[in-house]
Amino acid sequence: MKMTKIYEGSYQWLMFGRDDNKPEKIIDTNQYVVRTGSRCLVIDPGGVELFAPMLAAVLHHAPVEEITDLFASHQDPDIISSLGLWDQALPNAKLHASGLWEGFIRHFGCETIEYVPIQDNGGVINLERVELQVIPAHYMHASANFNIYDPNAKILMSGDIGAALEEPGAPVFVDNFDEHVEKMRFFHQRWMPSNQAKRFWIDRVRDLDIDILAPQHGRMFKGDDVKRFLDWFDALQVGIAV
Amino acid sequence: MKKNQVKSQFVAVASIAAELSDVMNVAKEISLAAANAKAIAFRAGEKAKGFQPITDFINELAKDTINLVNSINLQAVKLYQLTVNEHKMTAASNQFSKVTSLTENAAYASSMNISQEQAEQRKMECRREFQSHVDQLLEQLASVMHPARAARVIAANSRIEASQAGEYLQSLQAVAESVDNAALVIHSNVQRCRTALSIINFSD
Repeated sequence: MKMTKIYEGSYQWLMFGRDDNKPEKIIDTNQYVVRTGSRCLVIDPGGVELFAPMLAAVLHHAPVEEITDLFASHQDPDIISSLGLWDQALPNAKLHASGLWEGFIRHFGCETIEYVPIQDNGGVINLERVELQVIPAHYMHASANFNIYDPNAKILMSGDIGAALEEPGAPVFVDNFDEHVEKMRFFHQRWMPSNQAKRFWIDRVRDLDIDILAPQHGRMFKGDDVKRFLDWFDALQVGIAV
Repeated sequence: MKKNQVKSQFVAVASIAAELSDVMNVAKEISLAAANAKAIAFRAGEKAKGFQPITDFINELAKDTINLVNSINLQAVKLYQLTVNEHKMTAASNQFSKVTSLTENAAYASSMNISQEQAEQRKMECRREFQSHVDQLLEQLASVMHPARAARVIAANSRIEASQAGEYLQSLQAVAESVDNAALVIHSNVQRCRTALSIINFSD
């Protein structure tokens, strides 16, 4: 599992992905970790196949008892089907996820972890002195869907928004936006169901100060590429299957 | 637990539930046959005097069987839950071993030790609890065999009594046949449950 540090201050943002041992037919995912002095948030911890390499990677940065928070942007298996194993491994942890999806996500196993339901209008996750904003991104693509925004690090973890299907071992940042577009187009047109929801999300996100837009699949966007992505996405017609 | 063992355990537990459901249906049929026999015996009056107490026995047997199967069903549900738990604990234990093998140089590798030990303990507890429930279930299944055997004896007596019932002979013989068949079905279904449980035990 490859680790890339994307923010370093009084706390860190770490990106994990590009696992060499990932089974061939499952989609590659990016996992993000926010590490403060004595706490650790794992954002979209991943599918059940990824549990062991992901936890092993996190143990380079934090002991299990300090992995105190998990966040699931939505209910898909590539996001959170590992929950049942985290549930056995973490002695004191909370899962922050949509209240709407609670009855579904619990199917993955959630006996010891405390489920903290996020209301539709979002909220905040406090990790010691770090305050992370939970931004609604409903229907993008799941009907209850959230992003994480860190106003201090200027990072928006955008879930499936900005995702691309890449070859194994692809770089972690977009280096040529125009070339990258084709890797994103069908994914967004097919998985995002609503132009109205897309407009609502773009209007909201344009008001945020973002240095890095970090999706759950493919490469991250940095600097001017964030605005390029928002402009491209703004012009894209989605929900093409009907 | 190996993958095939897990599969066979799930299949065995599910097949026990299916067999028990059949036994329950047959026991209800016996109960219906008893009510039917009682009505016939009442109409036959003096000619079926010997048959009348037998109908009460048949009814009691059906009730006993239904009660036993209800209780066994609860055990079977518990057994299924234990199978699921054991599967989960085994998966966690295997995954934690994998984490350990991947974290030789990790700064906080040893922090997994407690979780790993606990997962191993929970797995063993589940296995012990599962085996103890299998033993209890086998005992309960053996107890269902008693009413099934008694039903066959009653069926034989019913045939004798039916032969003295004149024009009601055919109706009462049909009752005897249905009780006898039901007892045979229960016997063979319960036997299959026991075999399925034995397979689980042997696969350990």
